[in-house]
Amino acid sequence: MSDAHQDSRWSIDEAELARLTKEARQFKGESLWSDAWRRLRRNRAAFLALLFLAAFGGVSLLAPFLPIPSPKAISLRDEPGTPEWLWSVPAAPTKAPDRGAATTRSTRNLWNDGWRHRSTVILAADDEGAAEEARARVEETSGRGAILETYPADEGDGLEVYASVPMLEGDAPEVDYRATDFGGTATCWDVSTAGADEPVGAVHSLRLQSADGTDFDAAQVSGWSVEARGRSVRLFLGRAEARPGLGDWVVAYRLDAEPGSLPTAVLLDGTLLPGSAAVAWEGTPRGAQTVDAKLLEGVEAMDLGRQVAASLAASPIEGVTYLETRHEDGYWEFKGLVGAMDRALRRARIATFGLWQTGNWMGTDGQGRDLLARIVWGSRTSIIVGIIASLCSLLIGVLYGAFSGYMGGRIDNLMMRIVDVLYSIPFIFVVIFLITVVNEYRTELEDQFGIDREKIFFLVIGAIYWLTMARVVRGQVLSLKNTEFIEAARVIGASTTRILLSHVVPNVLSIVIVYLTLTIPAVMLFEAFLSFLGLGIEPPKVSWGLLAVDGTQAINPIKIYWWLVVFPAGAMGSTLLALNILGDGLRDALDPKLRGKN
Amino acid sequence: MLRFLARRFLWFVITVSTVMTVSFFLMHSVKGGPFDGERKLDPVIEANIKARYHLDWPLWRQYLQYVGPFNLDDQRALAAFDEEGGFALWRSEGADGEPTRAFGGVLTGDFGPSFRYKDFTVNDILEESLPISALLGVLSMMFAIALGVSAGIASALRPGSGIDLTLRIAATGGIALPNFVIASFLVILLVFLIPLLPVAGWGTIQHMLLPGFCLGLVFAAYIARLTRTGMLETLSADYIRTAHAKGLAPRTVVMRHALKGGLLPVVSYLGPATAGILTGSLVIEKIFFIPGTGSHFINAATNRDYTLAMGVTILFTVLVYTLNTVVDMAYTLLDPRITLEDE
Repeated sequence: MSDAHQDSRWSIDEAELARLTKEARQFKGESLWSDAWRRLRRNRAAFLALLFLAAFGGVSLLAPFLPIPSPKAISLRDEPGTPEWLWSVPAAPTKAPDRGAATTRSTRNLWNDGWRHRSTVILAADDEGAAEEARARVEETSGRGAILETYPADEGDGLEVYASVPMLEGDAPEVDYRATDFGGTATCWDVSTAGADEPVGAVHSLRLQSADGTDFDAAQVSGWSVEARGRSVRLFLGRAEARPGLGDWVVAYRLDAEPGSLPTAVLLDGTLLPGSAAVAWEGTPRGAQTVDAKLLEGVEAMDLGRQVAASLAASPIEGVTYLETRHEDGYWEFKGLVGAMDRALRRARIATFGLWQTGNWMGTDGQGRDLLARIVWGSRTSIIVGIIASLCSLLIGVLYGAFSGYMGGRIDNLMMRIVDVLYSIPFIFVVIFLITVVNEYRTELEDQFGIDREKIFFLVIGAIYWLTMARVVRGQVLSLKNTEFIEAARVIGASTTRILLSHVVPNVLSIVIVYLTLTIPAVMLFEAFLSFLGLGIEPPKVSWGLLAVDGTQAINPIKIYWWLVVFPAGAMGSTLLALNILGDGLRDALDPKLRGKN
Repeated sequence: MLRFLARRFLWFVITVSTVMTVSFFLMHSVKGGPFDGERKLDPVIEANIKARYHLDWPLWRQYLQYVGPFNLDDQRALAAFDEEGGFALWRSEGADGEPTRAFGGVLTGDFGPSFRYKDFTVNDILEESLPISALLGVLSMMFAIALGVSAGIASALRPGSGIDLTLRIAATGGIALPNFVIASFLVILLVFLIPLLPVAGWGTIQHMLLPGFCLGLVFAAYIARLTRTGMLETLSADYIRTAHAKGLAPRTVVMRHALKGGLLPVVSYLGPATAGILTGSLVIEKIFFIPGTGSHFINAATNRDYTLAMGVTILFTVLVYTLNTVVDMAYTLLDPRITLEDE
């Protein structure tokens, strides 16, 4: 065969070769994709839908950058507020946070995208004059206006002063828990009162000592709370004397077995901590377990509270003592890449708009939350649900369909029968049933596998929308299977997996994309449907489904809050409409033979 | 035909038993009973309740009891004498001397007692609510077919015209918007702004109009699309040209000749549409406070009334499967080109 080059028929001169190559290049046809793109552009409705979706997706992606109010900050109005077509000059918040437990909890996940996200510095003052001075100091330190609320102190005749300022970057500290030299043992008892079979409380007894043998001083602790996730326990200990830059302590330990119930009492080196119920338990309690414990000290990054405290330490005001600082957050953080992008966008927002933001352009809901912001943030949830669940269904559907179609014969027959059977089940009922059952296991799933309700939700939706995809892909694969290039691959000796993945799947991609575009709106509708029934996304998170539900619930004969119905429905309807039109357009563009068919 | 039915029946048995088994074991795998409330029950009362619902039995025995038809409740008698002294195979006496039915379970059409509504069996609740849901479903199906077919024909007769475009956009909108949003718009419009219809409830024809319409709208949109496509295809067929050439009136051609072929895709859609209407009824019944099976199902699912939820699931599976089979058979009867043996 190597003699072929010497054969006169194969001899070819350079010029001829160049000419032929050029000709071949000119004959090179358009690829399927550029052809489809051209056809899509010519379809005006589909192209407009594409542009609309791109714009909407952009708004949703850039949500932290937009100068809109917080989607979750509540103002306690009596009824939904009407739309105001104004830019509002930011004002200080008008209500101090609840006075409550004494401990400062971990203050991660805070944002500073507008005036409803605030830091509240809490101080003790002797009288009104001292309170005013304290306000001036807070304003001076933060460089922002502060609103002042005073309450009579719980003990003594002084005042408790709440100075709230809008939050900016740096106000919200990350709390970093660092190991101290205190370590020791923790014992946990399940206790029961006389007569009851089941344990009714748990007692945690700690013995903490430093390396040199001195006991930890229980008098330094002002309050406590326990976070028990399965067997790992984090006991938060509040400081009796708040110290700038230092948050609460955490004692972390891992028990041998889960405690049977909520803790009712905590003993530190034999002293009952404040707020513990005095539970009498027997001398040899059941289920006592002794494990190693570690005391961690919360160190807060530079924040407003610390600055105010430092300033007060440097030049004290007569009759004013710093107590603590609390932060209220603005929206929901996303993890990973999206989270990093959001943080960058938030900084960009502050750089561009400062604290300036829109008024309630679309009105507010019954709890005073801005509707526009909720629609924008809700679009994130809806889009994520739509995309992830569709991808889930895509994965299952394509693999199932491709395998079934490729294997053919009995296997194909059986697999498609199964799809038929699944088709004839009224899935919604099974899904609702499934979600209710899974709900019973929520805490276990969350603790052990890190699966929260939303993830279950994605999986369940994805797992039922693959049927159509499987059928379509199988049909395509069946017709592809006997084409020459597949035969050729098989003759060369390519494995089944290889043929499927690198030859068959790319060729069914076009139809898959079309069905993906049509699945996304279906999934979004389904999400709305489940949210309507109270089985989908849960408040305080927001999705379009939930907003639409809020709208339908706001209907009453006395007053019609039309904006609660019209705007969410408009956003949802137009997006779903655009997706449907785009899906139809893509189908026409990618497969002209199917034009006009359903 | 018989072979087709036999095969369908085989798959029917497989489907229903799968749904039943999976949901049964899912439901019983849930920790804690359906009676665990805020308040701790007295152990004696709890044991009594568990005994009443057979929750103290081993799982396999509960399952057999649920599926039936076995007399697990009363092992002594598979048959007993009734009050008149006659011998009855299917009756037996309970502990209190009351005659009870010896044979129960899903196979005899008995879904057991409801966990929440203490004095009702699931059958009682279904008997009460199913006619309401069926009426709503039939009504909305009629709406859907009437509206969808006429809109489809109207747009197929003048493709590309203003009517066609408007109807197609309306159809896409009907598909894109969730039915509860449409329902709330219509409630605002027809109940509050123009007080024509009552807000909610059930009983008179006025109560049924709005829910039926809202429920049927999505399917009307799909049917309109299908009719349009089918009619466009049929109207360009040769036999329609022949009919025109014979000098038949255009109305006769469309209604008698074209419609028959053009509606075939609609017929095949009726099966999925039925399932969809059942699904949609969950929401619509909740919005309009209609005491149908759907709203009972939602309450059951959220209140952990497992027997009721399971009963509805199984019943609707049977219903959808049967209707799908009927639709497939109707399809072959209408379109002689298709045979059932192709399946």
